[in-house]
Amino acid sequence: MLPNRSRTSVLVFLLPPLLLYGAAVLFPILQSLFLSFFSWNGISDMEFVGLENYLRMFTADDIFWRAFLNALLYLAICLVLQLGGALVVASLLTSLRRGRELIKTLYLLPAVISTVAIAFLFVRIYSLEPVGLLNQLLHWIGLGSLERPWLSDVNTVLAAVSAPEGWRFTGLYMLIIYAALLAVPKELEEAAVLDGASRWTLFTRIRFPYIRPVWITTTIMATTYGLRGFDIPYLMTNGGPGQSSELLTTYMYKTAFTSTDFGYASTISVFIVVECLVAVGLILFLLKRKADA
Amino acid sequence: MITQAAPPTRPAAVVPPTPAAPRRRRRPDLFRTLSRVLIMLIVIVQVYPLAWLFLTSLRTEHDFATGDPFALPGALTWDNYARAFETGDLGRNILNSFVVTMGANMLIVLLGMMAAYAIQVLGFRLSKLVRGLFLIGIIVPVQIALVPLFIDYSTVNLLDTYQSMIIPLAGFSLPMSVYLFCSFYEYIPKETYEAASLDGAGPYRIFGLITLPLSLNTVVTVVLVNSIFIWNDFIFANTFVLSEELKTIPLGLQNYIGAMGKVDWTATFAAVCVTITPLLLVFLVLNKAMIQGLESGATKG
Repeated sequence: MLPNRSRTSVLVFLLPPLLLYGAAVLFPILQSLFLSFFSWNGISDMEFVGLENYLRMFTADDIFWRAFLNALLYLAICLVLQLGGALVVASLLTSLRRGRELIKTLYLLPAVISTVAIAFLFVRIYSLEPVGLLNQLLHWIGLGSLERPWLSDVNTVLAAVSAPEGWRFTGLYMLIIYAALLAVPKELEEAAVLDGASRWTLFTRIRFPYIRPVWITTTIMATTYGLRGFDIPYLMTNGGPGQSSELLTTYMYKTAFTSTDFGYASTISVFIVVECLVAVGLILFLLKRKADA
Repeated sequence: MITQAAPPTRPAAVVPPTPAAPRRRRRPDLFRTLSRVLIMLIVIVQVYPLAWLFLTSLRTEHDFATGDPFALPGALTWDNYARAFETGDLGRNILNSFVVTMGANMLIVLLGMMAAYAIQVLGFRLSKLVRGLFLIGIIVPVQIALVPLFIDYSTVNLLDTYQSMIIPLAGFSLPMSVYLFCSFYEYIPKETYEAASLDGAGPYRIFGLITLPLSLNTVVTVVLVNSIFIWNDFIFANTFVLSEELKTIPLGLQNYIGAMGKVDWTATFAAVCVTITPLLLVFLVLNKAMIQGLESGATKG
């Protein structure tokens, strides 16, 4: 704490950032909560409807539930690709002697590219006519029977729109986990090896517990990002065909800006926020408790 | 902060477990070969689509429509790039993205430093609470702000302006930058400030003459990390901007999808290549700083 600071100086430094943050983030959150109790199309008068929007969402809206389940599956695929893939690559990378920096850079490349570009790219990768990379690859390895238009097949579309998001950020999480793995004290590992620990035991008993704090952070990051995933599914399929790749976020967006049902859209976005908070709480609870066990 | 500057580790397994078990000596080599192959495969999956994107942008349309997608282009052509510039308004899109990225970054850096200075250096009673408020912005999804901001902007006539993109982008990036600056300010020794105070410097002079110049490295990190998010933003631009003149790169790219979903793919990929180049170059040149920023950003968050 600075010796001769004044109350004014604190305010001078604190007010501008809080104003921007309040206007862009905090106030809209409250406003959403407020709007979720109204029925409003943006033009006519706002009508207070109490909990009606919430009732409709939970009891009378099949699309909402469909989108919710889809969002969970989308999240699951992203998590497996991002955290699982990241952990595998990060562990492998520690046993590599040369070229680590290059691999880190290459691996991070997709995270730098815009979602629109990635959506375009994957539309082509999945396409059947003309044949895209995926179908051609399947053809070559003798799995030609699996060739299909991945984005218009209702059975595959959700997985197809989830994979690019997972693919995109694997490098980011790999980087974080790799940095954490490097910090594991070498003496600890060497001692374990001398005691005859296998690579697997080394990993499960020493490395993984040691990086638990970083694991919690990355899990929370990946989960909250996964739950807010929007761009790629919206651009690739816009939730279709039917509702087979609809996520809560795309459903909310369409409710707001296509059907201009601002009240109900706010209800859905409140749900998305609550879902994120619950997810974070759950992760902290589960991973922290395991640490104590 | 976790640094990546650890010495090149000699894998522990090189040490044979016991001299009595020579059979195990071969295993590390096999393991290393396997992991090298696996890493290569994963890197190919990660990088090949991008290389393919670039190769496709050099293909002739005919070659693209009929050829094997994995084949190298039969003949190289730059026509796609010419067509990409004719179809869209690439120059303007890039300019707009620059304006938005610069504007948002200036706000993020300046306001982030100020907030961190107030929280970490000046200190006040409710500083914990303010920190907590900023944490909300990291957890909460940006979608929550779309409907309210759309309504607010239309009442104050901000829809379809640069500000309508800059304000929410800066607002949602601010928390991470506040955290990065805070964690950096923790390491500035108290004595520096005490000495300056004894010399009669007030909080403003100390900020301008000590804290700010010392922050430059962190500024680079903050700008790099946030630029990825801002340069590529789709959702705010798509919601708040309608006119062609203000479209940023992500929106501009959508113009390449023609009526009835008919797409000139080779030109589209040429456009994609043009638009990802600036950020990609910055990333490749400064990737050390960027990587460090991403790492510390996550370990602090």
